[in-house]
Amino acid sequence: MSKPRTVAALGQPHPATEKADRYEVMRAKALAMGGPEKLARRKAAGVLNARERVDVLVDAGTFIESGLFGTSATRPEDRERSPTDGKIVGFGKIDGRECAVVVNDFTVMGASSSATNGRKIGHMKRVATARGLPMVFLGESSGARMPDHMGSRGMGALLGNDGTQYMRMRETPWVSATLGYSYGSSSWYSVLSDFNVMRKGAVLAVSSAQLASLAIKEAVDPEVMGGWKVHAEVTGFADQVVDTDEDAIAAIKTFLSYMPAHHNETPPERAVAPDSGKAMAGIAKLLPQKRTQVYDVRNIIRAIVDAGSFFELKARFGKVAVTGLARLAGRTVGFIANNPLFKGGAMDTDACEKITSFLVLCDSFNIPIVMLVDTPGFSIGTEAERKRAPGKIMNYMQALQLCTVPKISVILRKSYGQAYLNMGGGRNSDEVAVWPTAEVSFMDPTFAVKIVHGLEPGDPGFSEAFNSMNKDNEPWDMAAIYAAQNVIRPEDTRDYLIRMLEVHRQRMTNGVGQHLMHAWPTSY
Amino acid sequence: MAEIEAKTEVTGSVWKIVTELGQRVEAGETIMIIESMKMEIPVMSEEGGVIQRFLVEETTPVSEGQVVAILTT
Repeated sequence: MSKPRTVAALGQPHPATEKADRYEVMRAKALAMGGPEKLARRKAAGVLNARERVDVLVDAGTFIESGLFGTSATRPEDRERSPTDGKIVGFGKIDGRECAVVVNDFTVMGASSSATNGRKIGHMKRVATARGLPMVFLGESSGARMPDHMGSRGMGALLGNDGTQYMRMRETPWVSATLGYSYGSSSWYSVLSDFNVMRKGAVLAVSSAQLASLAIKEAVDPEVMGGWKVHAEVTGFADQVVDTDEDAIAAIKTFLSYMPAHHNETPPERAVAPDSGKAMAGIAKLLPQKRTQVYDVRNIIRAIVDAGSFFELKARFGKVAVTGLARLAGRTVGFIANNPLFKGGAMDTDACEKITSFLVLCDSFNIPIVMLVDTPGFSIGTEAERKRAPGKIMNYMQALQLCTVPKISVILRKSYGQAYLNMGGGRNSDEVAVWPTAEVSFMDPTFAVKIVHGLEPGDPGFSEAFNSMNKDNEPWDMAAIYAAQNVIRPEDTRDYLIRMLEVHRQRMTNGVGQHLMHAWPTSY
Repeated sequence: MAEIEAKTEVTGSVWKIVTELGQRVEAGETIMIIESMKMEIPVMSEEGGVIQRFLVEETTPVSEGQVVAILTT
Protein backbone atom coordinates (compact mmCIF):
# COMPACT_ATOMS: atom_id res chain seq x y z
CA MET A 1 0.00 0.00 0.00
CA SER A 2 1.47 3.32 -1.00
CA LYS A 3 1.78 6.14 1.48
CA PRO A 4 -1.00 8.80 1.21
CA ARG A 5 0.14 11.85 -0.62
CA THR A 6 -0.11 14.92 1.51
CA VAL A 7 0.08 18.54 0.63
CA ALA A 8 2.38 18.91 3.59
CA ALA A 9 4.76 16.60 1.86
CA LEU A 10 4.94 19.16 -0.93
CA GLY A 11 5.65 21.93 1.58
CA GLN A 12 2.10 23.28 1.61
CA PRO A 13 -0.19 23.49 4.71
CA HIS A 14 -2.36 20.43 5.17
CA PRO A 15 -6.00 21.30 4.27
CA ALA A 16 -7.18 19.99 7.62
CA THR A 17 -4.72 22.28 9.41
CA GLU A 18 -5.84 25.19 7.30
CA LYS A 19 -9.48 24.51 8.19
CA ALA A 20 -8.59 24.18 11.86
CA ASP A 21 -6.84 27.53 11.70
CA ARG A 22 -9.84 29.01 9.97
CA TYR A 23 -12.02 27.67 12.77
CA GLU A 24 -9.85 29.42 15.35
CA VAL A 25 -9.97 32.69 13.41
CA MET A 26 -13.75 32.51 13.05
CA ARG A 27 -14.16 31.56 16.68
CA ALA A 28 -11.98 34.40 17.90
CA LYS A 29 -13.96 36.84 15.76
CA ALA A 30 -17.25 35.57 17.20
CA LEU A 31 -15.97 35.80 20.76
CA ALA A 32 -14.69 39.35 20.26
CA MET A 33 -18.21 40.77 20.55
CA GLY A 34 -18.44 44.42 19.42
CA GLY A 35 -14.68 45.08 19.61
CA PRO A 36 -12.22 46.34 22.20
CA GLU A 37 -13.35 49.98 22.22
CA LYS A 38 -16.98 49.25 23.03
CA LEU A 39 -15.95 46.67 25.60
CA ALA A 40 -13.57 49.13 27.25
CA ARG A 41 -16.32 51.75 27.50
CA ARG A 42 -18.57 49.27 29.29
CA LYS A 43 -15.81 48.28 31.64
CA ALA A 44 -15.16 51.94 32.47
CA ALA A 45 -18.88 52.36 33.21
CA GLY A 46 -18.76 49.42 35.62
CA VAL A 47 -21.11 47.31 33.48
CA LEU A 48 -20.39 43.69 32.62
CA ASN A 49 -20.24 42.67 28.97
CA ALA A 50 -22.41 39.85 27.68
CA ARG A 51 -19.80 37.09 28.05
CA GLU A 52 -18.89 38.23 31.54
CA ARG A 53 -22.60 38.03 32.38
CA VAL A 54 -22.71 34.45 31.09
CA ASP A 55 -19.68 33.59 33.23
CA VAL A 56 -21.27 35.03 36.37
CA LEU A 57 -24.57 33.30 35.62
CA VAL A 58 -23.61 29.70 34.89
CA ASP A 59 -21.47 27.21 36.78
CA ALA A 60 -17.84 27.28 35.60
CA GLY A 61 -17.17 25.10 32.57
CA THR A 62 -20.80 24.18 31.91
CA PHE A 63 -21.77 26.64 29.17
CA ILE A 64 -22.25 25.08 25.76
CA GLU A 65 -22.94 27.85 23.32
CA SER A 66 -25.39 27.48 20.48
CA GLY A 67 -25.04 29.55 17.31
CA LEU A 68 -21.61 31.00 18.03
CA PHE A 69 -21.13 31.52 14.31
CA GLY A 70 -24.51 33.06 13.64
CA THR A 71 -24.42 36.49 12.00
CA SER A 72 -26.78 38.92 10.36
CA ALA A 73 -28.33 37.22 7.35
CA THR A 74 -30.49 39.96 5.90
CA ARG A 75 -27.86 42.41 4.68
CA PRO A 76 -24.53 40.96 3.52
CA GLU A 77 -22.72 44.14 4.53
CA ASP A 78 -23.64 43.51 8.17
CA ARG A 79 -22.24 40.01 8.28
CA GLU A 80 -18.73 40.94 9.34
CA ARG A 81 -19.89 43.30 12.08
CA SER A 82 -22.47 41.04 13.72
CA PRO A 83 -20.67 38.32 15.70
CA THR A 84 -23.21 35.91 17.24
CA ASP A 85 -25.74 38.29 15.71
CA GLY A 86 -25.79 40.16 19.00
CA LYS A 87 -27.38 37.47 21.13
CA ILE A 88 -25.36 34.84 22.97
CA VAL A 89 -27.45 31.75 23.62
CA GLY A 90 -26.76 28.29 24.96
CA PHE A 91 -27.16 25.82 27.78
CA GLY A 92 -25.46 26.05 31.14
CA LYS A 93 -25.91 24.80 34.65
CA ILE A 94 -27.05 27.18 37.35
CA ASP A 95 -26.34 25.78 40.81
CA GLY A 96 -26.00 22.37 39.19
CA ARG A 97 -29.24 22.49 37.21
CA GLU A 98 -29.47 22.69 33.41
CA CYS A 99 -30.91 25.96 32.05
CA ALA A 100 -31.36 27.61 28.65
CA VAL A 101 -29.79 31.04 28.47
CA VAL A 102 -30.25 34.08 26.21
CA VAL A 103 -27.86 36.97 26.82
CA ASN A 104 -28.08 40.10 24.72
CA ASP A 105 -24.79 41.59 23.54
CA PHE A 106 -25.46 45.30 23.26
CA THR A 107 -22.02 45.91 21.74
CA VAL A 108 -23.11 44.13 18.55
CA MET A 109 -25.60 46.28 16.67
CA GLY A 110 -27.32 47.14 19.95
CA ALA A 111 -28.38 43.48 20.33
CA SER A 112 -31.16 44.37 17.92
CA SER A 113 -33.62 41.67 16.91
CA SER A 114 -32.96 40.02 13.57
CA ALA A 115 -33.75 36.86 11.63
CA THR A 116 -30.77 34.82 12.85
CA ASN A 117 -30.89 35.78 16.49
CA GLY A 118 -34.66 35.29 16.44
CA ARG A 119 -34.05 31.69 15.34
CA LYS A 120 -31.49 31.29 18.13
CA ILE A 121 -33.95 32.41 20.79
CA GLY A 122 -36.67 30.25 19.27
CA HIS A 123 -34.41 27.19 19.49
CA MET A 124 -33.63 27.87 23.16
CA LYS A 125 -37.32 28.17 24.01
CA ARG A 126 -38.23 25.00 22.09
CA VAL A 127 -35.53 22.95 23.82
CA ALA A 128 -36.32 24.42 27.24
CA THR A 129 -40.00 23.58 26.85
CA ALA A 130 -39.43 20.08 25.42
CA ARG A 131 -36.75 19.08 27.93
CA GLY A 132 -37.95 20.90 31.04
CA LEU A 133 -35.30 23.60 31.49
CA PRO A 134 -35.75 27.02 33.10
CA MET A 135 -35.20 29.91 30.66
CA VAL A 136 -33.00 32.86 31.58
CA PHE A 137 -33.04 36.12 29.60
CA LEU A 138 -30.44 38.80 30.33
CA GLY A 139 -31.96 41.72 28.49
CA GLU A 140 -30.41 44.80 26.93
CA SER A 141 -31.55 45.56 23.42
CA SER A 142 -32.27 48.49 21.13
CA GLY A 143 -35.29 46.74 19.61
CA ALA A 144 -35.89 45.62 16.05
CA ARG A 145 -32.86 45.88 13.74
CA MET A 146 -33.01 48.69 11.23
CA PRO A 147 -33.30 48.89 8.31
CA ASP A 148 -33.84 45.12 8.11
CA HIS A 149 -37.43 45.37 9.29
CA MET A 150 -38.41 48.25 6.99
CA GLY A 151 -40.94 47.81 4.22
CA SER A 152 -43.43 45.07 3.58
CA ARG A 153 -40.69 42.63 2.62
CA GLY A 154 -38.80 43.34 5.82
CA MET A 155 -41.93 42.92 7.91
CA GLY A 156 -43.01 39.78 6.10
CA ALA A 157 -39.58 38.20 6.26
CA LEU A 158 -38.70 39.07 9.86
CA LEU A 159 -41.86 39.37 11.90
CA GLY A 160 -44.67 36.98 12.70
CA ASN A 161 -43.15 33.82 11.27
CA ASP A 162 -43.18 32.08 14.63
CA GLY A 163 -46.75 31.92 15.88
CA THR A 164 -45.59 30.98 19.38
CA GLN A 165 -42.88 33.63 19.74
CA TYR A 166 -44.58 35.47 22.59
CA MET A 167 -46.80 32.68 23.88
CA ARG A 168 -46.39 31.90 27.54
CA MET A 169 -47.68 28.51 28.69
CA ARG A 170 -45.60 28.24 31.87
CA GLU A 171 -44.19 24.76 31.21
CA THR A 172 -40.89 25.91 32.72
CA PRO A 173 -39.93 28.99 34.76
CA TRP A 174 -38.78 32.04 32.80
CA VAL A 175 -36.61 34.61 34.53
CA SER A 176 -35.27 37.88 33.24
CA ALA A 177 -32.92 40.68 34.13
CA THR A 178 -33.26 44.16 32.66
CA LEU A 179 -29.64 45.27 32.52
CA GLY A 180 -29.59 48.31 30.27
CA TYR A 181 -31.77 49.93 27.63
CA SER A 182 -34.32 47.23 26.90
CA TYR A 183 -36.73 47.96 24.08
CA GLY A 184 -38.84 45.73 21.87
CA SER A 185 -38.34 41.99 22.32
CA SER A 186 -36.06 42.44 25.31
CA SER A 187 -38.86 44.18 27.21
CA TRP A 188 -41.41 41.66 25.94
CA TYR A 189 -39.43 38.80 27.46
CA SER A 190 -39.00 40.69 30.72
CA VAL A 191 -42.74 41.12 31.21
CA LEU A 192 -43.48 37.58 30.03
CA SER A 193 -41.15 36.19 32.68
CA ASP A 194 -42.09 34.86 36.11
CA PHE A 195 -39.41 37.03 37.69
CA ASN A 196 -37.81 40.20 36.41
CA VAL A 197 -34.99 41.94 38.22
CA MET A 198 -34.02 45.43 37.13
CA ARG A 199 -30.66 47.09 37.58
CA LYS A 200 -30.77 50.77 38.51
CA GLY A 201 -30.00 52.81 35.42
CA ALA A 202 -31.70 50.31 33.09
CA VAL A 203 -34.78 51.27 31.11
CA LEU A 204 -37.61 48.94 30.12
CA ALA A 205 -39.99 50.30 27.49
CA VAL A 206 -41.77 49.53 24.24
CA SER A 207 -39.38 51.75 22.31
CA SER A 208 -36.54 54.15 22.93
CA ALA A 209 -37.01 57.61 24.40
CA GLN A 210 -35.60 59.00 21.16
CA LEU A 211 -38.33 57.35 19.09
CA ALA A 212 -40.98 58.29 21.63
CA SER A 213 -39.82 61.93 21.44
CA LEU A 214 -40.10 61.88 17.66
CA ALA A 215 -43.55 60.29 17.78
CA ILE A 216 -45.17 62.55 20.36
CA LYS A 217 -43.10 65.70 19.70
CA GLU A 218 -41.94 66.25 23.24
CA ALA A 219 -38.82 65.53 25.21
CA VAL A 220 -38.95 62.13 26.85
CA ASP A 221 -36.59 61.22 29.66
CA PRO A 222 -35.76 57.49 29.47
CA GLU A 223 -35.60 57.17 33.26
CA VAL A 224 -38.98 58.84 33.69
CA MET A 225 -40.45 56.75 30.87
CA GLY A 226 -39.21 53.32 31.90
CA GLY A 227 -36.69 53.54 34.72
CA TRP A 228 -36.55 51.34 37.78
CA LYS A 229 -38.79 53.53 39.91
CA VAL A 230 -41.54 53.40 37.31
CA HIS A 231 -41.44 49.62 37.12
CA ALA A 232 -40.88 48.99 40.83
CA GLU A 233 -43.61 51.36 42.04
CA VAL A 234 -46.08 52.05 39.24
CA THR A 235 -46.25 49.13 36.80
CA GLY A 236 -45.00 46.33 39.02
CA PHE A 237 -42.93 44.92 36.12
CA ALA A 238 -39.80 44.91 38.29
CA ASP A 239 -39.98 42.16 40.91
CA GLN A 240 -36.75 43.37 42.45
CA VAL A 241 -34.36 46.29 41.93
CA VAL A 242 -30.59 46.02 42.41
CA ASP A 243 -27.50 48.19 41.98
CA THR A 244 -25.24 46.00 39.84
CA ASP A 245 -25.24 43.32 37.15
CA GLU A 246 -23.76 40.87 39.65
CA ASP A 247 -26.59 41.54 42.12
CA ALA A 248 -29.15 41.01 39.36
CA ILE A 249 -27.68 37.64 38.43
CA ALA A 250 -27.52 36.65 42.10
CA ALA A 251 -31.22 37.50 42.41
CA ILE A 252 -31.99 35.28 39.40
CA LYS A 253 -30.13 32.39 40.99
CA THR A 254 -31.94 32.87 44.28
CA PHE A 255 -35.33 32.98 42.56
CA LEU A 256 -34.55 29.79 40.63
CA SER A 257 -33.51 28.05 43.85
CA TYR A 258 -37.18 28.13 44.93
CA MET A 259 -38.49 26.85 41.60
CA PRO A 260 -38.82 23.42 40.03
CA ALA A 261 -37.09 23.03 36.65
CA HIS A 262 -40.49 22.44 35.05
CA HIS A 263 -44.17 22.22 35.93
CA ASN A 264 -44.24 18.45 36.30
CA GLU A 265 -41.98 18.34 39.33
CA THR A 266 -41.98 19.86 42.79
CA PRO A 267 -39.51 22.56 43.84
CA PRO A 268 -36.14 21.41 45.18
CA GLU A 269 -35.79 20.94 48.93
CA ARG A 270 -33.06 22.54 50.99
CA ALA A 271 -31.58 21.83 54.39
CA VAL A 272 -33.32 23.77 57.15
CA ALA A 273 -31.19 26.72 58.20
CA PRO A 274 -29.97 26.72 61.81
CA ASP A 275 -31.97 28.99 64.12
CA SER A 276 -35.16 28.48 62.11
CA GLY A 277 -38.16 28.97 64.39
CA LYS A 278 -36.11 30.61 67.15
CA ALA A 279 -38.11 33.85 66.86
CA MET A 280 -41.45 32.12 67.33
CA ALA A 281 -41.45 32.59 71.11
CA GLY A 282 -41.73 36.36 70.64
CA ILE A 283 -44.03 36.43 67.62
CA ALA A 284 -47.13 37.61 69.51
CA LYS A 285 -45.24 40.74 70.50
CA LEU A 286 -44.84 41.68 66.84
CA LEU A 287 -48.58 42.38 66.82
CA PRO A 288 -49.47 45.74 68.49
CA GLN A 289 -51.73 45.68 71.54
CA LYS A 290 -54.11 48.28 70.11
CA ARG A 291 -56.27 47.24 67.17
CA THR A 292 -55.77 50.66 65.59
CA GLN A 293 -52.00 50.40 65.47
CA VAL A 294 -50.05 49.15 62.49
CA TYR A 295 -47.01 46.91 62.11
CA ASP A 296 -44.88 45.39 59.37
CA VAL A 297 -46.16 41.89 58.63
CA ARG A 298 -42.82 40.99 57.02
CA ASN A 299 -41.38 40.65 60.51
CA ILE A 300 -43.99 38.00 61.25
CA ILE A 301 -43.23 36.16 58.00
CA ARG A 302 -39.49 36.21 58.73
CA ALA A 303 -40.14 34.76 62.20
CA ILE A 304 -42.24 31.90 60.82
CA VAL A 305 -40.18 30.74 57.82
CA ASP A 306 -36.82 29.00 57.70
CA ALA A 307 -34.16 31.48 58.78
CA GLY A 308 -33.07 33.80 55.97
CA SER A 309 -35.37 32.22 53.38
CA PHE A 310 -37.88 35.03 52.76
CA PHE A 311 -37.49 36.36 49.19
CA GLU A 312 -39.90 39.22 48.64
CA LEU A 313 -41.33 40.04 45.21
CA LYS A 314 -42.63 43.46 44.09
CA ALA A 315 -41.82 45.02 47.48
CA ARG A 316 -42.42 48.58 46.25
CA PHE A 317 -45.60 47.86 44.27
CA GLY A 318 -49.01 47.33 45.89
CA LYS A 319 -47.33 47.63 49.28
CA VAL A 320 -50.53 46.99 51.24
CA ALA A 321 -49.92 43.34 50.42
CA VAL A 322 -46.74 41.31 50.67
CA THR A 323 -45.89 38.47 48.29
CA GLY A 324 -42.78 36.36 48.49
CA LEU A 325 -41.22 32.93 48.34
CA ALA A 326 -39.80 31.27 51.42
CA ARG A 327 -39.13 27.83 52.85
CA LEU A 328 -40.80 25.95 55.64
CA ALA A 329 -38.92 22.87 56.82
CA GLY A 330 -36.82 23.14 53.66
CA ARG A 331 -39.75 23.22 51.22
CA THR A 332 -40.75 26.16 49.03
CA VAL A 333 -43.90 28.01 50.10
CA GLY A 334 -45.49 31.16 48.67
CA PHE A 335 -46.55 33.76 51.24
CA ILE A 336 -49.32 36.29 50.70
CA ALA A 337 -49.95 38.70 53.55
CA ASN A 338 -51.74 41.96 54.20
CA ASN A 339 -49.37 44.60 55.44
CA PRO A 340 -51.06 47.02 57.88
CA LEU A 341 -47.93 49.20 57.81
CA PHE A 342 -49.24 50.63 54.55
CA LYS A 343 -52.77 52.05 54.45
CA GLY A 344 -53.68 49.85 57.39
CA GLY A 345 -53.61 46.84 55.06
CA ALA A 346 -56.69 47.98 53.09
CA MET A 347 -56.30 46.27 49.72
CA ASP A 348 -56.12 48.36 46.56
CA THR A 349 -56.11 47.45 42.89
CA ASP A 350 -52.30 47.26 42.68
CA ALA A 351 -52.34 44.72 45.51
CA CYS A 352 -55.02 42.72 43.68
CA GLU A 353 -52.83 42.53 40.56
CA LYS A 354 -49.76 41.65 42.57
CA ILE A 355 -51.50 38.85 44.45
CA THR A 356 -53.18 37.52 41.30
CA SER A 357 -49.88 37.21 39.46
CA PHE A 358 -48.30 35.56 42.51
CA LEU A 359 -51.13 33.02 42.77
CA VAL A 360 -50.61 32.15 39.09
CA LEU A 361 -46.87 31.74 39.68
CA CYS A 362 -47.28 29.47 42.70
CA ASP A 363 -50.02 27.33 41.18
CA SER A 364 -48.15 26.93 37.90
CA PHE A 365 -45.05 25.59 39.63
CA ASN A 366 -46.52 23.45 42.43
CA ILE A 367 -45.78 25.86 45.28
CA PRO A 368 -48.19 25.68 48.27
CA ILE A 369 -49.60 28.99 49.46
CA VAL A 370 -49.85 30.46 52.96
CA MET A 371 -51.99 33.54 53.54
CA LEU A 372 -51.58 35.76 56.61
CA VAL A 373 -54.65 37.91 57.07
CA ASP A 374 -54.97 41.35 58.64
CA THR A 375 -57.03 43.66 56.50
CA PRO A 376 -59.94 46.02 57.12
CA GLY A 377 -61.13 45.15 53.59
CA PHE A 378 -60.76 46.47 50.07
CA SER A 379 -60.16 50.17 49.48
CA ILE A 380 -63.43 51.69 48.37
CA GLY A 381 -64.48 55.01 46.89
CA THR A 382 -64.37 56.86 43.59
CA GLU A 383 -60.70 56.30 42.88
CA ALA A 384 -60.95 52.55 43.50
CA GLU A 385 -63.90 52.23 41.12
CA ARG A 386 -62.08 54.20 38.41
CA LYS A 387 -59.23 51.74 38.75
CA ARG A 388 -61.69 48.92 38.04
CA ALA A 389 -61.64 47.51 41.55
CA PRO A 390 -64.53 45.04 41.02
CA GLY A 391 -62.76 43.50 38.03
CA LYS A 392 -59.43 43.27 39.84
CA ILE A 393 -61.03 41.77 42.95
CA MET A 394 -62.79 39.12 40.88
CA ASN A 395 -59.66 38.28 38.83
CA TYR A 396 -57.92 37.70 42.13
CA MET A 397 -60.85 35.67 43.47
CA GLN A 398 -61.00 33.49 40.39
CA ALA A 399 -57.24 32.91 40.50
CA LEU A 400 -57.54 31.84 44.13
CA GLN A 401 -60.35 29.42 43.36
CA LEU A 402 -58.53 27.96 40.35
CA CYS A 403 -55.44 27.19 42.43
CA THR A 404 -54.99 23.47 42.94
CA VAL A 405 -51.91 23.70 45.16
CA PRO A 406 -52.52 23.49 48.94
CA LYS A 407 -53.66 26.79 50.48
CA ILE A 408 -53.62 27.59 54.18
CA SER A 409 -55.03 30.81 55.60
CA VAL A 410 -54.11 32.17 59.02
CA ILE A 411 -56.14 35.12 60.34
CA LEU A 412 -53.88 37.19 62.58
CA ARG A 413 -56.16 40.10 63.28
CA LYS A 414 -58.74 41.76 61.00
CA SER A 415 -60.62 39.97 58.25
CA TYR A 416 -63.58 41.87 56.88
CA GLY A 417 -66.09 41.66 54.05
CA GLN A 418 -65.15 40.36 50.62
CA ALA A 419 -61.48 40.48 51.63
CA TYR A 420 -62.24 37.61 54.04
CA LEU A 421 -62.94 35.45 50.98
CA ASN A 422 -60.03 36.77 48.90
CA MET A 423 -57.64 36.00 51.75
CA GLY A 424 -58.77 32.39 51.88
CA GLY A 425 -61.70 32.53 54.29
CA GLY A 426 -64.21 29.67 54.26
CA ARG A 427 -63.59 27.08 51.57
CA ASN A 428 -61.27 29.40 49.67
CA SER A 429 -58.37 27.63 51.32
CA ASP A 430 -57.81 24.07 52.45
CA GLU A 431 -57.45 25.03 56.09
CA VAL A 432 -58.34 28.17 58.03
CA ALA A 433 -56.58 28.82 61.32
CA VAL A 434 -57.12 31.86 63.51
CA TRP A 435 -55.09 33.51 66.21
CA PRO A 436 -57.00 34.41 69.39
CA THR A 437 -56.48 38.05 68.35
CA ALA A 438 -58.54 37.56 65.18
CA GLU A 439 -61.61 39.65 64.50
CA VAL A 440 -63.86 38.62 61.65
CA SER A 441 -66.97 40.32 60.39
CA PHE A 442 -68.62 41.97 57.42
CA MET A 443 -67.31 45.42 58.30
CA ASP A 444 -65.34 47.27 60.97
CA PRO A 445 -67.49 47.48 64.14
CA THR A 446 -67.17 51.29 64.29
CA PHE A 447 -68.78 51.61 60.87
CA ALA A 448 -71.32 48.88 61.68
CA VAL A 449 -72.47 50.78 64.80
CA LYS A 450 -73.00 53.89 62.67
CA ILE A 451 -74.93 52.00 59.99
CA VAL A 452 -77.00 49.76 62.28
CA HIS A 453 -77.58 52.12 65.24
CA GLY A 454 -76.81 55.55 63.76
CA LEU A 455 -74.28 56.23 66.54
CA GLU A 456 -70.93 57.96 66.27
CA PRO A 457 -68.01 57.57 68.71
CA GLY A 458 -68.87 59.76 71.77
CA ASP A 459 -72.66 59.38 71.36
CA PRO A 460 -74.56 57.88 74.34
CA GLY A 461 -74.83 54.14 73.82
CA PHE A 462 -72.00 53.98 71.30
CA SER A 463 -69.63 52.11 73.63
CA GLU A 464 -72.21 49.44 74.48
CA ALA A 465 -73.15 48.96 70.83
CA PHE A 466 -69.48 48.88 69.81
CA ASN A 467 -68.56 46.32 72.48
CA SER A 468 -71.44 44.11 71.41
CA MET A 469 -70.43 44.30 67.73
CA ASN A 470 -66.78 43.78 68.59
CA LYS A 471 -67.45 40.78 70.84
CA ASP A 472 -69.29 39.07 68.04
CA ASN A 473 -66.18 39.50 65.91
CA GLU A 474 -64.03 37.28 68.10
CA PRO A 475 -62.87 33.99 66.61
CA TRP A 476 -64.67 31.63 69.00
CA ASP A 477 -68.05 31.68 67.25
CA MET A 478 -66.29 30.96 63.99
CA ALA A 479 -64.46 28.02 65.55
CA ALA A 480 -67.71 26.77 67.12
CA ILE A 481 -69.37 26.37 63.72
CA TYR A 482 -66.14 24.95 62.20
CA ALA A 483 -65.73 27.86 59.78
CA ALA A 484 -62.20 27.91 61.15
CA GLN A 485 -60.64 24.50 61.57
CA ASN A 486 -58.14 25.58 64.23
CA VAL A 487 -57.53 28.33 66.74
CA ILE A 488 -53.78 28.41 67.29
CA ARG A 489 -51.40 30.16 69.62
CA PRO A 490 -49.28 32.62 67.61
CA GLU A 491 -46.07 30.94 68.77
CA ASP A 492 -47.30 27.60 67.33
CA THR A 493 -47.85 29.02 63.83
CA ARG A 494 -44.64 27.68 62.27
CA ASP A 495 -45.18 24.17 63.62
CA TYR A 496 -48.85 24.26 62.60
CA LEU A 497 -48.01 25.30 59.04
CA ILE A 498 -45.27 22.71 58.62
CA ARG A 499 -47.54 19.98 59.91
CA MET A 500 -50.57 21.07 57.91
CA LEU A 501 -48.61 21.43 54.67
CA GLU A 502 -47.46 17.87 55.24
CA VAL A 503 -51.07 16.74 55.65
CA HIS A 504 -52.05 18.50 52.43
CA ARG A 505 -49.20 17.26 50.25
CA GLN A 506 -50.61 16.23 46.90
CA ARG A 507 -49.70 12.57 47.18
CA MET A 508 -51.98 11.38 44.38
CA THR A 509 -50.04 13.42 41.83
CA ASN A 510 -46.60 13.53 43.44
CA GLY A 511 -47.09 17.14 44.42
CA VAL A 512 -48.05 18.31 40.93
CA GLY A 513 -51.16 20.48 40.54
CA GLN A 514 -53.49 20.94 37.58
CA HIS A 515 -52.09 24.33 36.45
CA LEU A 516 -55.45 25.68 35.39
CA MET A 517 -53.96 29.17 34.89
CA HIS A 518 -50.91 28.16 32.88
CA ALA A 519 -52.05 30.33 29.97
CA TRP A 520 -53.18 33.34 32.02
CA PRO A 521 -51.67 36.73 31.17
CA THR A 522 -48.39 37.72 32.77
CA SER A 523 -49.69 41.18 33.69
CA TYR A 524 -53.20 42.59 34.11
CA MET B 1 -28.78 69.76 49.94
CA ALA B 2 -31.77 68.14 48.31
CA GLU B 3 -35.35 68.59 49.43
CA ILE B 4 -37.43 65.55 50.27
CA GLU B 5 -41.21 65.66 50.32
CA ALA B 6 -42.93 63.47 52.89
CA LYS B 7 -46.37 62.48 51.62
CA THR B 8 -49.34 60.80 53.22
CA GLU B 9 -50.41 57.67 51.40
CA VAL B 10 -53.94 57.83 52.77
CA THR B 11 -56.80 60.29 53.07
CA GLY B 12 -57.64 61.08 56.69
CA SER B 13 -56.65 63.60 59.33
CA VAL B 14 -53.40 64.28 61.13
CA TRP B 15 -53.65 62.58 64.51
CA LYS B 16 -50.23 63.11 65.99
CA ILE B 17 -46.97 64.75 64.87
CA VAL B 18 -44.27 62.68 66.52
CA THR B 19 -41.21 64.64 65.34
CA GLU B 20 -39.98 68.21 65.70
CA LEU B 21 -38.57 70.87 63.38
CA GLY B 22 -34.85 70.41 62.95
CA GLN B 23 -35.00 66.78 63.99
CA ARG B 24 -33.02 64.25 61.95
CA VAL B 25 -34.97 61.18 60.86
CA GLU B 26 -33.71 58.06 59.13
CA ALA B 27 -35.29 56.28 56.15
CA GLY B 28 -38.42 54.47 57.28
CA GLU B 29 -38.80 56.54 60.46
CA THR B 30 -42.27 57.84 61.35
CA ILE B 31 -42.74 61.62 61.02
CA MET B 32 -46.42 61.84 61.88
CA ILE B 33 -49.46 59.62 62.20
CA ILE B 34 -52.59 59.98 60.11
CA GLU B 35 -55.91 58.66 61.35
CA SER B 36 -57.69 56.94 58.49
CA MET B 37 -60.28 54.19 58.42
CA LYS B 38 -60.01 54.07 62.24
CA MET B 39 -56.36 53.12 61.89
CA GLU B 40 -53.18 54.94 62.81
CA ILE B 41 -51.22 55.13 59.58
CA PRO B 42 -47.64 56.45 59.80
CA VAL B 43 -46.07 58.90 57.34
CA MET B 44 -42.52 57.63 57.02
CA SER B 45 -39.50 59.32 55.55
CA GLU B 46 -38.33 57.72 52.31
CA GLU B 47 -34.77 58.88 52.94
CA GLY B 48 -32.79 60.12 55.89
CA GLY B 49 -32.97 63.90 56.41
CA VAL B 50 -33.70 66.86 58.66
CA ILE B 51 -37.24 68.20 59.04
CA GLN B 52 -37.44 71.75 57.71
CA ARG B 53 -41.19 72.45 57.58
CA PHE B 54 -44.50 70.90 58.53
CA LEU B 55 -47.26 71.75 56.05
CA VAL B 56 -50.05 70.49 58.32
CA GLU B 57 -51.05 70.59 61.99
CA GLU B 58 -52.67 68.01 64.19
CA THR B 59 -56.34 67.51 63.17
CA THR B 60 -55.70 68.90 59.64
CA PRO B 61 -57.61 66.83 57.04
CA VAL B 62 -55.26 65.41 54.38
CA SER B 63 -55.69 63.71 51.02
CA GLU B 64 -53.83 60.75 49.56
CA GLY B 65 -50.49 61.88 48.11
CA GLN B 66 -50.51 65.26 49.90
CA VAL B 67 -47.13 66.62 50.98
CA VAL B 68 -47.19 67.01 54.77
CA ALA B 69 -43.57 67.82 55.57
CA ILE B 70 -40.36 68.95 53.87
CA LEU B 71 -36.99 67.52 54.77
CA THR B 72 -33.50 68.21 53.50
CA THR B 73 -30.76 65.66 53.10
